[in-house]
Amino acid sequence: MSWKQYQNELIALGAVAVMLFAYLYKHNQVTSQVTHAKTVQQSIAEFKEVIALKKVWADKKTAKKIDTLHTLIPASKVKWSKKSKKVTASYTGLTSNELNKLMTKILNLPLIITLLDVQKIGSNYNVEFKCKW
Amino acid sequence: MNFIGKTKELLLAYPSMQGVTLQESVNVMLTPQFYTLKKESIPVKYAYQAKKIAPSLFEGLLEQGGTYDYIVFKEEDMWVFIAYDLDNITHFLASKGIEASMISKIFFAQQCVDSFHTPLALGDKEALVVLDDIVVVVPRIALGEEEQLSFVFPQNCTPKSGISLQGEVGSVLSKKQAYTLASIFVLFAIVFMVEGARYGGEGDAGAQKLQTLYEAYPALQSSYTREGIVNKYREIDSKEREKRDIVKTLGSMIFKGVTLTALRIDEKKFKAQFSCTNAQVLKRVKALAKKAKYNISNTKDNHTVGIEGSI
Repeated sequence: MSWKQYQNELIALGAVAVMLFAYLYKHNQVTSQVTHAKTVQQSIAEFKEVIALKKVWADKKTAKKIDTLHTLIPASKVKWSKKSKKVTASYTGLTSNELNKLMTKILNLPLIITLLDVQKIGSNYNVEFKCKW
Repeated sequence: MNFIGKTKELLLAYPSMQGVTLQESVNVMLTPQFYTLKKESIPVKYAYQAKKIAPSLFEGLLEQGGTYDYIVFKEEDMWVFIAYDLDNITHFLASKGIEASMISKIFFAQQCVDSFHTPLALGDKEALVVLDDIVVVVPRIALGEEEQLSFVFPQNCTPKSGISLQGEVGSVLSKKQAYTLASIFVLFAIVFMVEGARYGGEGDAGAQKLQTLYEAYPALQSSYTREGIVNKYREIDSKEREKRDIVKTLGSMIFKGVTLTALRIDEKKFKAQFSCTNAQVLKRVKALAKKAKYNISNTKDNHTVGIEGSI
């Protein structure tokens, strides 16, 4: 048997092989494109998360903003200590309103609260507050 | 052009020939008994154009019931048309021991008209001669005595074009079908390749966005750096949000009849104490604490409730 006898079939088979190769090429391109797109999207999402987190928790203005916790309450009621990136504050004899204002401010600032101790003494409140950033 | 320097043997096939035994494939030249010839001067430039009109030229000249193919070539200013029945030819050749698989190409005597100016003996009774530039078979008796007769078939003529039997005999697909199918498959292949190439070039919008981010934040180009920062701040973010949620939830427990008497939040746990005016209010506070999945601690006082949990 000579292969030349079946050259027509071989031509058709060759063309099928070329088509299959082209299909595999396309499939491979699609797969790699999808993988690449996923990787890119993941990187973008990671990037955005990093930027967002840094914007909140590594804000350079936080050091300035935190001073409002000092000025918010009359100075006579506050003992304030700010060293490096840490603050220790003691508030005594706060009214309910002052406590509410202080708490709202503390909760809205991007601080790492290490201690928040509120004690009701009579009708007033004493607050001990430690934080860092 | 023969690149490997090997020329196949050219075998002259005629009806009265002896059977042969072949060891390797051969080229076959057919005498006029196997074909019908016509010479015409028609105003076409290319052989394929002439081939298109070949069937109409032989109308009424060919035997009914045969399946004819045509070969066309040019001799000086004339087009030579040859009609042949391939099935008949292959049957005859097979009967003489020349199987289709052993035939490389089939030629026609007319294609080597110049090689037959000296009459060639075909067996005992016939001879191949050229009359008016057409190769014909005549009885040897019709040749004059002065006419010199050759008994050796000249091997020096190999026409440019011939019939290739490979793929024509014993094949499931005809050449036309094979080329049609191949064209379709190749067309699909081209479509796939183009689509594949397009996919390769698409999706750059995301990559461009990423590139913009890289340029805006060069310090974050490394995924390890990003991962480190994310891990560091994600933990802080999660814990601090939880602390603030706790304060918010505890704040929602302060309503008429409830007073916050103590609250302590550190980095690992929290504890709050509420004073209630009556048992009803106390029960409601406890229910809220339970709903928030906080622990309720017992106190000595019946109107005071302690709520605690971990961060």
